[in-house]
Amino acid sequence: MPRPARGNGLVSVPGVSAEDRDLIVRASRGDVEAFSQVVRDRSGFVHRVAQRIVGPDKAQDASQEVWVRVWQRIENFRGESAFSTWLYKITVNACLDARRKDQRREARELPEEPPYLPETPTSDNDPESSALNRERREEIFESLEHVREDHRAALVLRHMEGLSYDEIAEVMDVPTGTAKGWVSRGRASMLVALSEKGRPGGDGEAGGRP
Amino acid sequence: MMPSTESERWEFLEMIGAYAADELEGEEAGEAERLMLETEDNRRLAESYAQMLALLSALGEETPEAPEAVVNYAIRRAYVSAAVRRADSIMRGLAIDYLGALVHYLGLRPAQQR
Repeated sequence: MPRPARGNGLVSVPGVSAEDRDLIVRASRGDVEAFSQVVRDRSGFVHRVAQRIVGPDKAQDASQEVWVRVWQRIENFRGESAFSTWLYKITVNACLDARRKDQRREARELPEEPPYLPETPTSDNDPESSALNRERREEIFESLEHVREDHRAALVLRHMEGLSYDEIAEVMDVPTGTAKGWVSRGRASMLVALSEKGRPGGDGEAGGRP
Repeated sequence: MMPSTESERWEFLEMIGAYAADELEGEEAGEAERLMLETEDNRRLAESYAQMLALLSALGEETPEAPEAVVNYAIRRAYVSAAVRRADSIMRGLAIDYLGALVHYLGLRPAQQR
């Protein structure tokens, strides 16, 4: 059921096909059918980003919050940036809010020992060595938990989503230099956390990992 | 060998990380390469970074599907929200009409200017 006309000034939607543009325009005018299609088309994208920023356990709640915000705000989408950038922005903000509510991280001091990772066989002929098994995936997400939320989001956007620093800056609404700094510190923090999992007495030892 | 103060250690770690991510150029890249040649520890640190970045990249290649519950929830919420907005709009319209009728009934309508 369309909402009352609100005079949406959306003139173009960069980075999407004509069909998608039509859907987004209709959704921005309150057409629930069109919005439903936008949700179906992009729910994987939102869930993927949410999973990487808040972790698999909280990704569902975060994704739901994202879509609530998208519905509330899509009428204000003017097409000044790509729709994907706008969606990234809402997703990242919702995830950061979710992470801030759940502050379980402790401020860590940087250990004096260098943060090395245990060497692993990485032969190109050995698919098992390069496959991301469940244990490794858990290690990565657990290590990301120890990275400050904005650093983590920037790290995810750079090294998992493949965004440029300018794109990260636009999504996170910060100067490009800040985005670079956050990615850099996020990388270092994650390496420290990941290396501690492999050390005696580290988080990873609790489960008796070899 | 890692630098002694915590801020220097962060700076050092971040530089090696930027080198491993292939983000350094010019003098900075030269400085990082010099550090790589200096000690085996520094090379190992860069390798650890490279290993971590490869893991992140591999995880980044995965495309998990959203649970159906998320899609259903989002669509249901939108329908409910649209219905509430519509009802709100109707109620406002009715209230305005009713108020107008009451004003008319009580003879409170201001005289229209000619």
